[in-house]
Amino acid sequence: MSDIEQAKEDIARFQQKLGAVREEIGKVIVGQRALVDGVLTCLLAGSHALLEGVPGLGKTMLVRTLAQTLGLDFSRIQFTPDLMPADVIGTLVLDEGAQGGKVFEFRKGPVFANLVLADEINRATPKTQSALLEAMQEQRVTVGRTTHQLDAPYCVLATQNPLEMEGTYPLPEAQLDRFFYKLEVKFPSREDLHGILDRTTTGTQLEAHGVASRADILSMQALVRRVPVARHVQDYAIRVLQATHPDAEETTGLVKRYVRTGASPRGVQAMLLGAKIGALFAGRFAASIDDVKAAAPPALRHRLLMSFEGEAEGIRPDAIIAEILTTLVPAKA
Amino acid sequence: MSVESADPRDRLERGLARFERSARRAERRRKLGSGLAAAARVAPVALALLAPPLAYAKLHAGHGAERFVFVAAVLAAALVLGRGLWAGLGRSAPLAGAIELDRFHETGGRIANALAFARIPPAERSPLMSLAIEDALATVARLEPSRAVLVPVPRETPLVALLVAGLVALSLVEVRTLRTLPPPPAPKPLLMSADDVAFFRDQGDALARTANDPTEQAAVARYNRLIEDIANHRVDEHEVFRRLADIETDLGEHVESDREALEDGLQGVARELEKNPLTRKAAEALSEKRLEDAEKALRELAEKLKNKKAPPTQAELERLRGALKQASAQSHERLEAVEQRRKELAEERESLLKKKSDPAAKGDPGQKLEENKRQLEHLERQSSRAQKSAEQLSELDKELAKAADDLENALHERQKSAGEQAAEDMNQSAEDVHNLAQKQLDDAQKRELLQRLKELREVMRQQGQGGEQRKQRMERFGQQARGERPGGSGDGEQGKPGSGSLDVRLGPNRGSGIPIPGTQSGSQAATPAPGQKESDGGGDRSEAGRGYGNGHDATLAGDRSHLAGQTHDVSAAGIDSGEGTASAEVIYGAAQRGFVGKGYEQVFTEYQSVAERVLDKDEIPPGYRFYVRRYFQLIRPRE
Repeated sequence: MSDIEQAKEDIARFQQKLGAVREEIGKVIVGQRALVDGVLTCLLAGSHALLEGVPGLGKTMLVRTLAQTLGLDFSRIQFTPDLMPADVIGTLVLDEGAQGGKVFEFRKGPVFANLVLADEINRATPKTQSALLEAMQEQRVTVGRTTHQLDAPYCVLATQNPLEMEGTYPLPEAQLDRFFYKLEVKFPSREDLHGILDRTTTGTQLEAHGVASRADILSMQALVRRVPVARHVQDYAIRVLQATHPDAEETTGLVKRYVRTGASPRGVQAMLLGAKIGALFAGRFAASIDDVKAAAPPALRHRLLMSFEGEAEGIRPDAIIAEILTTLVPAKA
Repeated sequence: MSVESADPRDRLERGLARFERSARRAERRRKLGSGLAAAARVAPVALALLAPPLAYAKLHAGHGAERFVFVAAVLAAALVLGRGLWAGLGRSAPLAGAIELDRFHETGGRIANALAFARIPPAERSPLMSLAIEDALATVARLEPSRAVLVPVPRETPLVALLVAGLVALSLVEVRTLRTLPPPPAPKPLLMSADDVAFFRDQGDALARTANDPTEQAAVARYNRLIEDIANHRVDEHEVFRRLADIETDLGEHVESDREALEDGLQGVARELEKNPLTRKAAEALSEKRLEDAEKALRELAEKLKNKKAPPTQAELERLRGALKQASAQSHERLEAVEQRRKELAEERESLLKKKSDPAAKGDPGQKLEENKRQLEHLERQSSRAQKSAEQLSELDKELAKAADDLENALHERQKSAGEQAAEDMNQSAEDVHNLAQKQLDDAQKRELLQRLKELREVMRQQGQGGEQRKQRMERFGQQARGERPGGSGDGEQGKPGSGSLDVRLGPNRGSGIPIPGTQSGSQAATPAPGQKESDGGGDRSEAGRGYGNGHDATLAGDRSHLAGQTHDVSAAGIDSGEGTASAEVIYGAAQRGFVGKGYEQVFTEYQSVAERVLDKDEIPPGYRFYVRRYFQLIRPRE
């Protein structure tokens, strides 16, 4: 079998698995297609997602369903101000050994799962947040003198409530940067609400079945990395990233006025990986400028540091990104 | 995701070539649009910059402002064009056209990606790249670059149109500004010596006395007014020449051609009348342009025809009738002959022109055409002259024809009064000849006036060249010519005649002087002192009165004489003994005393008559004639 034939087969399998996963999730989650795709994108990119939305929009259910569908381990951590790092990553407990002696034994925390839902992450103290964020970045946990590798795939889905700011510890920029996407959980439409009510207020048992395996996910993650990106597409992604900086040559008025610091290089990495996954989702073999445009808002919105003026005037990063994407001509020498 | 697995290589290349072509075309259109948009963006600025120079030119017309506007317009056009070209021809992004095609056809970047991956050597392409190319070729069926990249009308177009309209309106606005013009340069009056003024004034008066024709009278009046204006320094050189030209035009530039036409006609009549012995004398006079003699001869012929004692025979009358008939018809026959020849030549010309335009025709008719053209022009002139001749002799022709008809009728009816009827007609013909002579006289006067005008113009021209210095010299000469001593007023000593000569220089460049012996050098101021009588130049300063007394003093004894005797008139004439003053002495005396006196006048008249005769007979260049006549003008007798 030639490489092309192999690639074709890989793509076909990717499409088949993706379709199955989407279908299975769709059995439980009504609507929220963009959110589902965003979460899947983060998972396939081998990274993490920050979900922002009011409570009750199905964030936990989405993650649990996803775990069921993909046959992955799932854990949920409810972040509270008194949550300690050990509650997240695990702790050493004194236990009787096999020979009867006392030994310290490591009890794994909830981060030891393939899919971790860090609910209301901004309610925990920075110390606890940073314990999780270290695990997210390094995909390993060090307790005492022992380092514990987290199983791949590993994906943390953190949520935060945009309304209740009282008693919260907003994530610092450096930690936000570790999230691949920041996804906004939109309120369902009327049609979707009908579907939700139909499913949740009747005797119907909503249960998703595993349609993919851990190996499938790893294989899909590998395929994503092989998707080619043409130079002009990559160049466009870089220009978008540069345009988020107020001192850049090719920037916009909103950026100059309301942005204090633009996105980091992780932003363009996220955009490009997101574009690749977007191309595969769309049934194409290579990422395009349109894919970059589609990936830009979730990849950049949490990476823009607004100026005081921007904060004061309530300028949303999405508006700034939209202006950049509108202004920036794709074909430029 | 539609990928055909068994695409041949050439299909792949053809498909990519199609993508390339469409992408390039889209790119060209994109550049055109960019160029137009860029030009339109700067066009309002360029047009706005053009407005101030235009307004300035309107307000300050004629100070090189038009050139300023031209330069500004060129700069504005260069700005617009340069900006458009810069934008249109500037470096463009790779695959810009393909990206535009992707956008229009909503192909998800397939075209641009395929072209981008196709530029990578096949060995370096990943399997997914190859699949992307194949996918693009399979998915994108038809490309429409012209629809994908529209060349839009720039949004500044209304503004540009508005500004252009404004500039056009501004350029059409007529700005009237009150400007204080510098005072026109005061005309430098033409200077002419009093002596010349007097001469031309006399000439004008003489012409006015003899002018009969209203046209001539009007021309003479204008001539006299011009002379008066010159005398009073009211006209400058240009004005003088302009008015001279006007007078000449009004007098009629065709006097000469009329005269020649009349002579032609008279020659023709004379040729016919010469054939008959009865009219031969009149014919000879007509031929020699002695119209008075011709009139006289015709009247004599009339008397002869009326003579009952020796009446002319029937045969003589018959021959006379034939001659008169031929003479009366000759003018028209000549005109008809000329016209006939002209028609023939015109037809020949048509034929030659056709031959020339026909490429199949042999030979070159160009030379014949030229000859034909020259002949036609000559005949045109001849025709015009013959027509004039016929007009001028129309009355004479009529009378001659009438005489011939009357004679024919009378001879036909064998009337005895045939000779009387013919005599009456001859008298009428003589009257017509008289009228012709009178007209010729009038024309001669016109020519005389024209001659005066030419002389005046030449004098003016020379005066203009010489300026004030020449005028002063001529003034001095005029004074001497009138017998006055040149110099200012005062009680100076009487000047003594010197041995020098008065150098009157005539002619171009004043090269040849005509020395006149006189009193130029050594003479002092010689104007009489106040209270003294003006001296006549003789050097005598006596105050003796020139009258007779009306009384006597006491020393005289006796009564006055009584003259009561019988008287009767006695006339006595002197005898010319031939011993009077010689001409040379008169001329020498004139050089000392001025050109005055009866003796000088007589000598001058004799000399001038001889000079005029020589001028008429000998072949002298026209320019020299003027100088001879001018010389006699200057030395003419003064009163």
